[in-house]
Amino acid sequence: METLNILIVDDEYGMRRGAERALRDVTLSLPDVNGDVRFEIRTAATGKELEEMLESGHTDILLLDHKLPDMTGLDILDSLGKRSLDLLTIMITAYASLDTAVTATRRGAYDFLAKPFTPEELRGAVRKAARHLILQRQARRLADEKRQVRFQFTSVLAHEMKAPIAAIEGYLQMIRERSAGENLENYDRMLDRCLIRIEGMRKLISDLLDLTAIESGQRQRNIVSVNVAEAARQSVENMKAEAERRGIRIDLRVPADLVLEGDRTEIEMIFNNLVSNAVKYNRDNGKVTVTADVSGDDVRIQVDDTGIGMTQEECQRLFNDFTRIRNEKTRHILGSGLGLSTLKKLVTLYRGSISVESQPDAGSTFTVTLHDCLNTSPGKREV
Amino acid sequence: MSKILLIDDDQDLIEMNKSVLTQRGHEVQVAFSAAEATEVAKAGPIDLAIVDVMMEDKTVGFELARRLHEMSPEMPMIMLTGIRKEMQLGYTFEPDETWLPVSKFLEKPVNPRVLADEAEALLTRKSQTAKG
Repeated sequence: METLNILIVDDEYGMRRGAERALRDVTLSLPDVNGDVRFEIRTAATGKELEEMLESGHTDILLLDHKLPDMTGLDILDSLGKRSLDLLTIMITAYASLDTAVTATRRGAYDFLAKPFTPEELRGAVRKAARHLILQRQARRLADEKRQVRFQFTSVLAHEMKAPIAAIEGYLQMIRERSAGENLENYDRMLDRCLIRIEGMRKLISDLLDLTAIESGQRQRNIVSVNVAEAARQSVENMKAEAERRGIRIDLRVPADLVLEGDRTEIEMIFNNLVSNAVKYNRDNGKVTVTADVSGDDVRIQVDDTGIGMTQEECQRLFNDFTRIRNEKTRHILGSGLGLSTLKKLVTLYRGSISVESQPDAGSTFTVTLHDCLNTSPGKREV
Repeated sequence: MSKILLIDDDQDLIEMNKSVLTQRGHEVQVAFSAAEATEVAKAGPIDLAIVDVMMEDKTVGFELARRLHEMSPEMPMIMLTGIRKEMQLGYTFEPDETWLPVSKFLEKPVNPRVLADEAEALLTRKSQTAKG
């Protein structure tokens, strides 16, 4: 239940009491607003009293008579406008004219109510103002939250970009100052590290573009029949060089005829992410097993590795943006920290889910379930 | 020769700073996390520590600096920060002895040679204070 504070300003005692009676003990349920709304009522008879009341308590809706003994409603509107208060004003006057209504609206009044009015007309005007005010505040809160999230994201992104720049800058300064002597070979490792960090930044930028394209819904999706075994094989192929270099065996167990309805690039991204993590975070001479099968209406993709694994706590924060598990074992592994959060967003496009089971030093199993992507009715779509 | 503890979660920054400090004849011990740094500090006396603020957590370096100071109040510390402008963490970054026991703040990126110069200046000041 939300309570809005209404301030009724009128020099006629009868008007103040009547309006108060019409609004007191009223509970409104408003369209698009969660929960009911009730009102706390205060009254003032003059412009001076109004000023005191504005000072002494919060006001959400101001019912303002145009003709007060010490000033006009329009003067008050001017003065309120200068203070940018978070309230809505409904102008009330016995001298209703189009001119006054237009002037009042121009000076910031939200609505206009002509005397005489019935209690129901008053409640109608207040209901309209209350709904407007609450929705406006909700929109502002949402916009604030969005700005906050964007700020957090940009801050972390800035840090992730600055780290490799600092490393490259440091090495370049050492090279320029010949800090490792005159023998050029002493600088080979520094140059290699610079190139590796630049590659890391390139990966971060491309992961970031993937993530924002998916999140914003801007990426054009092209739903076709995708052969799952082919997509998996392609990902394995992409990681083959690194796997072979480190003696890691990759087993592919996907039925050759498993076909799903999806966006080919998205399905490839899912496999690429899972397989490249399984290789990167594996131990030398370890093993990766890629499995896919049909389970009811779902396609289930599972990637097991025999790698460094994670603790329960690490598993829980794994799918957040920029989360990288930083410890002794992952120090040498480069990653943007965006791969799994991208994966999670991709999976939601298929109303699916992603989960992980892991044991430190034993390995991890990632399971992706894609829902409702099987072409079960023959002829529905051409293969 | 002094014993310097270098704490940073970035492999490359550790490597480059260690190389310059080692060339200048110092014994360098490294730690990639606050936990590792605490272990190293427990194991034996350190003459100076160089602490990165943002490692596994945004402000872990601040907490670590306090812990290291409790363990050895005489040890000078240099704090490296890359987050001065982007983050509002509710800390003031000015060298203020009342809230953080840090002798010097340096904003990243820091030229490894400059960092080594700063470290040596603090070590010299420390030995003079000890003699005085």
